[in-house]
Amino acid sequence: MAKAFNWQLKREVEYPYEAKRPKRQFAVVMDLNKCIACQTCTIACKTTWTPGRGQEYMLWNNVETKPWGFYPLGWDVRLLELLDGNKKNVFDAPEGERILGWKPDDMDWIHPNIGEDEVNDPVDIGTVLEILPHPIWMFYLPRICNHCTYPACVAACPRQAIYKREEDGIVLIDPERCEGYQECIKACPYKKTMFNFVARISQKCIGCFPRVEESLQPQCVITCIGKIRLMGFINPPEKARPENPIDFLVHVKKVALPLYPQTGIEPNVYYIPPINVPTKFLRQMFGDGAEHAVKTYMAMREGKEPELKALLHLFGSTPRIPHSFAVGPTEVIAFDEKGKEMVRVPFVEPLQFRPHKDERLEVVRQDIP
Amino acid sequence: MSEVTRRELLKGGLSLATLISPSFAFKVMEPVVKVENPILYYPNRDWERFYRDIFRSESTFTFLCAPNDTHNCLLTACVKNGVVTRIEPTYKFGEATDIYGLKASHRWDPRCCNKGLALMRRFYGDRRVKGPMIRTGFYQWYKDGFPRDPKTGKPPEKYFQRGKDKFIKVTWDEVSDIIAKTMINIATTYSGEEGRKRLEAQGHYPKPMIDAMESAGTRTLKFRGSMPFLAVVRYTSPYRMANTMAILDSHIRGVGPDKALGGRGWDNYAFHTDLAPGHPMVSGQQNTDYDLCMWEYSKLNILWGMNPFTTKMPDCHWLTEARIKGSKVIVISNDYSPTARSADEVIIVRTGTDTALALSIAYVIMKEKLYQEKYVKSFTDMPLLVRMDNGKVLRARDIVPNYQPKELKKAVILKPGESFPPFFKQEKQYIPEAIRREDMNDFVVWDKRSDSPKVITRDDVGEDFWKLGIDPALEGTYRVKTVDGKEVEVKPLFQVYLEFFEKNYTPKQAEIITGVPSKKIEKLAREIASHPRNMKLSQGMGVNQYQHGDLKDRAMYMVCALTDNIGHATGNIGSYAGNFRLALFNGAPQYLAEDPFNVELDPNKPAKVKFYWKPESAHYYSHDDHPQYMGEHLLTGKTHLPTPTKFIWFVDANSTLGNAKWQYNIIMNTLPKIECIVTNEWWWSMTCEYSDIVLGVDAWNENKYWDIAGSVTNPFVYVWPKTGHRRMYDTKNDAETFALVANRLTELTGDERFRNYWKFAIEGKQDVVYVQRIINASSNLRGYKLEEIAKKAHKGIPSLIMTRTYPKYVGKDQTEEGMPWYTKSGRLEFYREEQEFMNAGENLPVYREPVDSTHYEPNVIVAKPHKLLKPKKPEDYGIKSEDALLSTEWRQARNVLVSPEHLPKTKHPLRVSFGASHIVHTPKYRHSAHTTTGDTDITVLLFGPFGDIYRHDKRMPFVSEAYIDINPKDLEKLGIKDGDYVWVDADPQDRPFVGWNKRPEDYEVGRLLIRARASNNTPTGCAKIWFNMYGSSHGSVMGTKKNPNGLAKNPQTGYQSLYRRGSHQTVTRGWLKPTYQTDTLIRKNLMGQVIGKGFELDVHSPIGAPREGFAKVTKAEDGGIGGKGVWRPLRLGFRPMAANEMLKKYIRAEYIK
Repeated sequence: MAKAFNWQLKREVEYPYEAKRPKRQFAVVMDLNKCIACQTCTIACKTTWTPGRGQEYMLWNNVETKPWGFYPLGWDVRLLELLDGNKKNVFDAPEGERILGWKPDDMDWIHPNIGEDEVNDPVDIGTVLEILPHPIWMFYLPRICNHCTYPACVAACPRQAIYKREEDGIVLIDPERCEGYQECIKACPYKKTMFNFVARISQKCIGCFPRVEESLQPQCVITCIGKIRLMGFINPPEKARPENPIDFLVHVKKVALPLYPQTGIEPNVYYIPPINVPTKFLRQMFGDGAEHAVKTYMAMREGKEPELKALLHLFGSTPRIPHSFAVGPTEVIAFDEKGKEMVRVPFVEPLQFRPHKDERLEVVRQDIP
Repeated sequence: MSEVTRRELLKGGLSLATLISPSFAFKVMEPVVKVENPILYYPNRDWERFYRDIFRSESTFTFLCAPNDTHNCLLTACVKNGVVTRIEPTYKFGEATDIYGLKASHRWDPRCCNKGLALMRRFYGDRRVKGPMIRTGFYQWYKDGFPRDPKTGKPPEKYFQRGKDKFIKVTWDEVSDIIAKTMINIATTYSGEEGRKRLEAQGHYPKPMIDAMESAGTRTLKFRGSMPFLAVVRYTSPYRMANTMAILDSHIRGVGPDKALGGRGWDNYAFHTDLAPGHPMVSGQQNTDYDLCMWEYSKLNILWGMNPFTTKMPDCHWLTEARIKGSKVIVISNDYSPTARSADEVIIVRTGTDTALALSIAYVIMKEKLYQEKYVKSFTDMPLLVRMDNGKVLRARDIVPNYQPKELKKAVILKPGESFPPFFKQEKQYIPEAIRREDMNDFVVWDKRSDSPKVITRDDVGEDFWKLGIDPALEGTYRVKTVDGKEVEVKPLFQVYLEFFEKNYTPKQAEIITGVPSKKIEKLAREIASHPRNMKLSQGMGVNQYQHGDLKDRAMYMVCALTDNIGHATGNIGSYAGNFRLALFNGAPQYLAEDPFNVELDPNKPAKVKFYWKPESAHYYSHDDHPQYMGEHLLTGKTHLPTPTKFIWFVDANSTLGNAKWQYNIIMNTLPKIECIVTNEWWWSMTCEYSDIVLGVDAWNENKYWDIAGSVTNPFVYVWPKTGHRRMYDTKNDAETFALVANRLTELTGDERFRNYWKFAIEGKQDVVYVQRIINASSNLRGYKLEEIAKKAHKGIPSLIMTRTYPKYVGKDQTEEGMPWYTKSGRLEFYREEQEFMNAGENLPVYREPVDSTHYEPNVIVAKPHKLLKPKKPEDYGIKSEDALLSTEWRQARNVLVSPEHLPKTKHPLRVSFGASHIVHTPKYRHSAHTTTGDTDITVLLFGPFGDIYRHDKRMPFVSEAYIDINPKDLEKLGIKDGDYVWVDADPQDRPFVGWNKRPEDYEVGRLLIRARASNNTPTGCAKIWFNMYGSSHGSVMGTKKNPNGLAKNPQTGYQSLYRRGSHQTVTRGWLKPTYQTDTLIRKNLMGQVIGKGFELDVHSPIGAPREGFAKVTKAEDGGIGGKGVWRPLRLGFRPMAANEMLKKYIRAEYIK
């Protein structure tokens, strides 16, 4: 066991391999205030990567409604139970095991959208919710592999068939080496490795590395019509670049938070928490930073966070990976790795006028035609 | 198998799925080659090529995805080995421009959704219609020479076993012969005196319906374009065919072009209950709205019964981005909708009572004088004086002897027979002289400055009104001398509204009606009033699909008008449903109504337009092919009257049969009266199940001709790219199918005019000739060259529609430029003086209970008696009030007043007699656009909680299934558990269909069996079934019994239902409302600036009320697999009704301190 520094917990965890960060670390920010649970990401992923036999149930990207939605059934309730809330991390394994984990029953995977849209408590006629956060609430949680800095699946694999790519930190299962022992499925606290029971191997989200290698954001990001996602590369806090959109959101503004950071494995999908949900639940799910993140988001709505506001308009406006951004008076601009402009978009789509009568084209334009 | 051979297999390109792992026993767990540190370095990464290969495509093409969802996405299809393997957004919407270079931004990207990205599962699916298919019984009828009963003309029943016969494939030549001969046969059978006698002998059609045919058998031929705005040639071809029928009529009846009559054309927007029927009543035009990207212009956004998170998905980011910039969002709904989670405020109102809530808000704003006085006085009917003696709005002619209407500057008066310029050159409104003289006779206000009545015209709106130098009273009671010497009490309408609301819709009374606390109503009213010109009210179908959708429009417009929130970029009202405004392509008549007797064969010249076909509401067909009567009294206006339906041709829509309101009554009772149903489709829908002929047409990926599509929610015009992708089957473009039949009609009759009328479709030039003609004649397209915008579309770039603004919105002409609205007074009118409205007790803006979806006495006018409310009572029609209440048919015209205070003491009759307990509403969801894609496996896997791709429970109709959401407390009371199957039975007098109790086999198909879900989101007494799933057919029900795997799939046709029995349409019926069928409402025509009166296609006509249904819910089967025990997630404690301790702790967030 080696000591690995986890910046999300601001302390060290025990990792079976020497702690080294990749040259670049894949990361995605998702603004949960914008997610509409349309499942376009899920279908984009499914049609691209998992349409085959043995993969029928498999959703590398899924979107579940909290609090009643789970894929697989009860996964994070079981996780919190296992970790005793946030008292343990997944490396606190019992004697003879590598990772503190649990393996879902096959039947736990069968209803991938159970709990869809369901709120915590019943409403009735005359229910009025007028103060944020709402006492009656739900929100959508889109999930992909977290491409963790200290992956539990890597730690657990007895075949050493799982690895982290040095160039982008994407975690992959080598199908040639995998023997289908399913230790990774038991180990992953987020339940994002899955068993292909025809090929008899485990499979998982590949971070769309064939796209990332071409400087393109993953399928689930570029098809996100809620425009909630932005993929880029994250630096550890001490190396944060404020002009890097991911670093800005995670390290500078601290509005984007890891999911169940107490797992200790440094997950690299960062969520902007939903402002309609009670803070306590958000803290349980996203850690102690939740309150600050919500406050910052609310301040932005009051016009007090112009850069944050600007950056959130960039989400979904380009299929390419933005490496840095700049904010103008009415626009936000994204740049590629070489600093070349990729796209610029306005904060408000400008209203423009045409004459009633177009003499040149001999036509009268009509709003009520 | 060794490591080496496995690697070789991968290199050989085999998929992972084909790999078989050795058994566990022969392996040791440790790897052969140790990896030092897999988070740092991994030695063998060649295999990664496997995924790169999967991702690489050989080629791509662009196609248009155009279900009826208002979006229209240009999508990129990625192709491998000639097969589409993956679909992606084009990311090119940000490059869209108009003729002059005005540009959209990349904030529009990406455009796509969960349904579109899975389309290859349909392009290559087993339910593709593979060519021309014919039902065997119908084929035999044709082969036997169309035998008929000599007296009634009815074909023998043995040929008409729809839903039970097999289909066989025939050739295109043969099918055109069959259709052409069938048309000739039916039109001949029902023409002239002979035809009349036959129809009378059939005993179903009242005389006015037969009279409406004007002796032409062609008038029994009905054609329905499917959402024509989505493909202006492809989907309007049926209307062109309806016009072609005039040539046929000239043959059959031997009449000339002056007397020939074409077929009838059915509606879309109104038939889908998408038309908000009060919009034309208030504003005189079809609908007010704005592109949804304009949400971000307003500080306050109210979404009232609108749930864009599931129905307007690609545009939701404009709302969430508006919130980022500080806009406040309020959701008003009858349940906790998906959109509610992104609202700052959520208000849950009793179902169907939104009108009362809006009227109460209006009351508070009026009472507390929070309204925008200048707007109210110059743009609304509120200062107009109304006569308290007869309820008519006071006219100048009433008080000025020999009054001659003043000259209008903002309109052109049309003398009888006078023609008007083409739509794209119309600068002003055009008003027929009679309407100007009678209906629009000038109005009167009470001038406070001179303390006297003053005449104003419909030109006097906006700034021009203030030039008159008068200040109209809003309050007070006055007396005027009329020309007949009487002294009459008059009041400004504002005063009348205020007094009326004070008696009936105060916040306290509205609380009784709506359930919303009175304090909240006051607060909300004040909040709205504090956002003049900065509030958008977005209405959705959650408030429209009830019997009194018009009343809610009148009330909600009033709230917006009082606060100057109409017609501004920053403040407006909009109703959202369907993709309706074909008028944006108002050159469409160039194609859909070219004069068949004077066809233009020069491709470069415009066509001459002449309507020989007549529009008709399909709601009469869905009302058992019958107009509305109250006792012996015909309530359907004569401008609306339907003709008997004997032949139908549908294109690419499932809404008018397979997913129609009261669908099982249509199938069991109405279809047997219809002699031929032709359906064009590329996917075997429920409509195909009950058709006689199904014509397989090209799927979207196979499109061969450019066509254009538009949208009411975004500012783009889309060209359908020619994909170049091969046709999988023996299919044709829709226009080609009609052209083939026209060609055959020429061969059969020897008349070249049929063929010439479709010349450019026959020659494969339908796009460059017909589409370009439409573009040239359209107000907002003229100037575009089809080839140029098509070239962009091929790259995934749409073009911008040239309305007066980008983005587009309605109301600028009026609010900002002082043009009159298209009403009598030129103002927004909340009062309706016409006799039909007086008879209904709806001349004043009132609130009425839903006609069925209520626990209280249905359809009552909730108001105390008032001098101006003089509704016709049941007794006036010779019917007892109690009988009118019990009969769903008569209840629709039962006009009875009940005070708000008394309302809760009344009961829906079915509560007592039948044990009904739940209103059932059927909104639309995210996993399907109407029913389109409702049966794509990977899409519906995610449709709700019961999706299971492996169908562990063989009772499941498909890999997912329909469910009814019911509050957990209600389920407990009913003895039903989450996940159980239940029966849902609405009014037994007419649902699922009239006469079900004598037809057990058909009843088995139509009676609704569905899973129950415990839903915290649904208030008690209210139940919800999503609208989007395919229902049961005779064949799918047979499948549940005969298929070894239990699938609800027709073994003969492949049709796949998502219900085991019945459908969501089981619980409602065909509803008609008298005030939707007037001959007197003044409104703009569908297209152009001409104002007319009475029926107008998709503007003024019945809209149905598909969320009207009150049902009994009883347990049918246990939810556990195979009906044993409870549903597994419930058993394990992961559901609301039996949450385990861990889950409770989780929800309360008690795992952390």
